[in-house]
Formats: sequence, C-alpha cells, structure tokens
Amino acid sequence: MSVIDDLASEFTRLPGIGRKTAYRLTHYLLKIPPEEACRLARAIEAMAERVRRCSICNNLSESDPCEFCTNPTRDRTVICVVEEASDIAAIDGSGGYRGLYHVLGGCLSPLDGIGPEELNVDSLLARLNGEVREVIIATNPSVEGEATATYLHRAIGSRGVQVTRLARGLPVGGDLEYADGVTIAQALSGRRGM
Amino acid sequence: MKLGHLEPRGGLEKGRFFGYFYRVFLQRIQLRNFRNFEDETVDFPERGAALIGDNGQGKTNLLEAIYYLEIFRSFRGARDEQLIRFGTDHFRVEGSLVEAGGAEVTVAAAYRREGRRKKVTLNGDEPQRFGEAIGRIGAIVFTASDVEIVAGGPAARRRFLDIILSLVEPDYLAVLQRYRRILTQRNESLREGASPSELAAWNHGLVDAGCSIIEARARWVAEQRAGFARYYEKISGGQQASIDYAPSIPKPTGDRAAPIDRHGWIEAFHGRLQRLAERERRRGVTLAGPHRDELKFRVGNSSDAVGLRSFGSAGQQRTAAVALRMVEAETLRAALGGEPIIMLDDVFAELDPPRSERVVELLAAEEWGQVLVTSPKPSEFALMGDSLAEYRIAAGTLRRV
Ligand SMILES: Nc1ncnc2c1ncn2[C@@H]1O[C@H](COP(=O)(O)OP(=O)(O)OP(=O)(O)O)[C@@H](O)[C@H]1O
Ligand SMILES: [Mg+2]
Ligand SMILES: [Zn+2]
Repeated sequence: MSVIDDLASEFTRLPGIGRKTAYRLTHYLLKIPPEEACRLARAIEAMAERVRRCSICNNLSESDPCEFCTNPTRDRTVICVVEEASDIAAIDGSGGYRGLYHVLGGCLSPLDGIGPEELNVDSLLARLNGEVREVIIATNPSVEGEATATYLHRAIGSRGVQVTRLARGLPVGGDLEYADGVTIAQALSGRRGM
Repeated sequence: MKLGHLEPRGGLEKGRFFGYFYRVFLQRIQLRNFRNFEDETVDFPERGAALIGDNGQGKTNLLEAIYYLEIFRSFRGARDEQLIRFGTDHFRVEGSLVEAGGAEVTVAAAYRREGRRKKVTLNGDEPQRFGEAIGRIGAIVFTASDVEIVAGGPAARRRFLDIILSLVEPDYLAVLQRYRRILTQRNESLREGASPSELAAWNHGLVDAGCSIIEARARWVAEQRAGFARYYEKISGGQQASIDYAPSIPKPTGDRAAPIDRHGWIEAFHGRLQRLAERERRRGVTLAGPHRDELKFRVGNSSDAVGLRSFGSAGQQRTAAVALRMVEAETLRAALGGEPIIMLDDVFAELDPPRSERVVELLAAEEWGQVLVTSPKPSEFALMGDSLAEYRIAAGTLRRV
C-alpha cells in the first residue's frame, strides 16, 4: 500500500466520504504546494492534541473548564442541555441564549446500546446545586431526543429546578445542528415547561 | 349489466360528474424489470381495460405495479427485492395520469437492489416527504386474496387500516412511523431489562403517538360502520354483518353517549401500561398499544351474530372482503373528491354469479372512474359489458386486441 492509498483510506473513515471522494481529495492535496498540505496536517494535529472535554459541561475546548464555564458574563442560573458539542455553536450563534451548556454525548437509544449510564446525566445532576434555576432541554426533535427529554425531566423533576423544552418549530426528525439561527431563537423564546 | 349507461349524460361538461370531479385516469404505464415484465409501455383508455391472460402470465403483476405507485409497496406484501425481475438489479415503474382539467402528472418509482435504494418522483422531482407522493393516483385493488383480511390474522386487518388511513389522513403515516420506532426502542429496552425510569422515558411518546393512531382508527371505523353493513347487505342479498374496532387499550368508560376524547385515551393507555408493567418486564415486550388492535367482523342478526373469522362461511368471508373494499373506495372518493381508479383482479371467479352481478351494480351506482379488470377467461367480462378495451397478457407482454 502506497502513502497515497494510506491517506485515501484515512479519508474514507470520515462521515459522508466514499472511496471516490477520498481519492479526489488525496489527489487535490498532491496538486497544491506541499506547504499548504502540511499546514492542513498541522492544523489537524494541533486540534487532536489540544482539544479536550470540559470537565464540567463536556463541551470540546482547548481549556478546561471551557470558555463558557469560565466566562463571568454568562448567566449561571440557566443550563441548556444538548446532545452533541456541535449543537452549542448552533444555539449560541442564534444569539438568543446567554446561559451555560451541558453536553449529553448522545441520546437514549436502546437499539444502539445507549442507556442513561452512557450519557453525561450524572454530571448534569451534580451541577444542580442551588444556583441553577432553569434547565432547557434542547435535544433533537427525534423519537430518541424526545425520550431523552422525558427522562431528564423526570430525573431533574424533584430538585426544585424548572425544566423547559425548546418549542416545536424545529423540523421534526431534523438535527439542531442544521437548523437556522432564527428558527432556534424562536424555539428558545417559545420554550415551555415540561 | 352493461357499462354503456355510464356515459356522461348530455350537457354535463367533461370533468364534472354529479358534483364529483371525474378525475384522474391512468393513461400510460411503463414497466422496466418489474416482476416478469422486461420493458413494457402500455396506453389505457379513460374508461379502462379488460386484461385477459392465462394463469401466471403477469395479470396480477401488472396491477401490483400500478398500485405500487399508490403506496410504494407491493399490495401482496412482497418485499421490494422480490419485485425486481429475476437476473436483473433494479426495477422502475412510471405512470402518466391525466387529471380532470387535462393536466398530466407522472408518478414514478424505482428500486435498486444494491444499497436498497428506492427513489420516488412526482413529475420528475423527488418530493420532500414520502407522504406527499403517497395516494397521488387514487386507486384501489380488489383481489381474491382480500379474503385474508377478514379470515387471516389480525396483522392483515391492522395493515388494511394503516394503508387506508395513510392515504387519506395527512399525518397518519408519519405518526405510525414514529410509533413503530418508539415501539422498537421500548421493546429493546424491555429486553435489556432497563430500569423503570428508563422505560418510562419511552412511555410518553408511545402513548402520544399511539393515541393519535387509536383515534384515527376509531373515527374511521365509526364513520364506515353503516356503510359496511349496507354494502354487505346489498352484495349478499339481504344478510347482515358488522365491523367493530377493538383497540388493545380498553375503551375509556364514562358517558356512553359522549365521544371519547383524546385525554380519555391517554389516561387509559397509561393505566394499561401501569397494570402490565410486571408482565412486560417478564416477557420483554410491549403488551399494549395499537400494534395489538383488532378489527372485528361479525355476521348474522345482532342477537345471534357470530365472529366471521372463526365461524363465517367462505362465501360470507369473501362478501365481507368485497364490502370492505367498497368502504375503502368510498373513503378514497370522499378524500379525493372524485372517483378512484378501480382494479379488479380476478374477483368474480371467487363470487357466485348473483353476488358478482350485485358488486358490478354497486360499483356502477357510484359512477365509477377508470376500471382495470383481469381474468383468465374472456367470458368473465360479460358481466362488465363489452365497453372495455381488451388487452392480452402473455409472458410479460401486453397487447391491445
Ligand atoms: N421477480 C420476478 N421476476 C420474474 N418473474 C417473476 C417475478 N416474480 C414473479 N414472476 C413470475 O410472474 C408469474 C406470475 O405472474 P402473476 O402473478 O401476475 O400471474 P397472473 O397472470 O396473475 O396469474 P393467475 O391467473 O394465476 O393469477 C410467474 O410465472 C412468476 O414466475
Ligand atoms: Mg393473478
Ligand atoms: Zn464547560
């Protein structure tokens, strides 16, 4: 196997990339100046080495705790619970939210062997220490996301914290990550108690 | 009984018919590698066609292909792979419809074995959601195997309800798919012996989607009960039969006269799950919900009526099956605001001559739209009059004669 094949086979491991695209990307990198290709390699390396899970909210960040958890201007009385770290960018980009986040790391799905223990639920409950007054559950509007929301609602229920859910309006079955900012801002402002 | 007297009456503008739009008809069907058809294109007249061919030549296959464009699945319950002609890797069906105003609509479906890819298009474009293309042609098939709906297991009856409701209720299919997904997840979590709190997370969605299904089914049966009895009585020449919805969730009690509201169903469903919790955990499967509903058919006078499935004669069961399709046609007619395309797959062979004649009379009374009839024997069509164009089917080829 040549180094070309090596790189192509690494590309095929990325989501949405098949054999053909993998070779197209590889050959593109062969055509550009070598220093540009190396810059890409260094960027990947730096990211892999420096990005960590935040020990408070499980967000991906270069610092631990992450920039949300340490930012003094964020509203510390609200936590928005999302499935993946990539959902944070979508919600924060909507401009309608100034509180903290918590990344679950997925949603309940027995078919995939994912139960509450596989998710960052305990660390969420540990954060409900008196300062937090509201938890907004922003899991995806899928069957699994809804079940996860129900589960969290019941788990948090007895702790004197208000639990709300993003209003509908997000496309059902869609991914939060791909919803536009206006839609998310509306879903946030229209959130309702569970 | 001739179709002759069904010509649009003089003075009526074409396209309008007693308040109903005299709507869509199938003008052309193109088949590629579908069952035993290799590459066939056939045009049909607006009135319809009589398709004659020996056993095993492709009559049912052709109707299966046409109805595929209605529900994008085989009406025989075959898997998509089985529809691909032996030795090939994909099939394609395209139908050109002419609407009441004369506009043409094409509905096409293709399926490739590799990657199990199904592609549906409406006028060449893929619709956003499957549900948009479903029921677009407005068709109904009467087949000899319909008797299975009445005489077979309950799954066939639920499938019947699900198909007709998916065709006429805008959100039904989406809710059904949601329900099935939740059910699979919940069953898996029961099998794994999940904690009660994890299990409870699935209950909310199960009950929510489940109650939408129950409500739609209950409403449909309530609306169609009288129609079913009327059709059965007419076809059988005066006998009685009834249809009742028997949901797996016990009907909420209360004021008998008042219609049962959603809230009542939701409470009843949750209550049932609570009572069954222990058994569900032992068995590892969800024991209550619309996936266990029944549709009950009974024959005879109300005082001594008996279950059709266990006690009905073969003729009574066949009659009930035809009456059920008649009710389905009525549902489509109301939803479409016009006549569905009616396909009759060798049904008269199974009914005695007087019953067959009354079926034709009933259909005629509804001022039917396009009709496609199949039979191995040309003589069967005597019943339908000689107004239908004749086609011969042999070994997957179709020719007008
Ligand atoms: N996937 C397939 N590829 C090729 N041929 C097929 C396929 N599936 C079924 N057939 C053939 O189609 C024929 C059956 O066709 P069909 O059921 O339409 O018959 P029919 O004309 O309705 O007969 P009958 O009068 O007995 O009902 C059989 O000969 C069968 O071998
Ligand atoms: Mg047949
Ligand atoms: Zn953090």
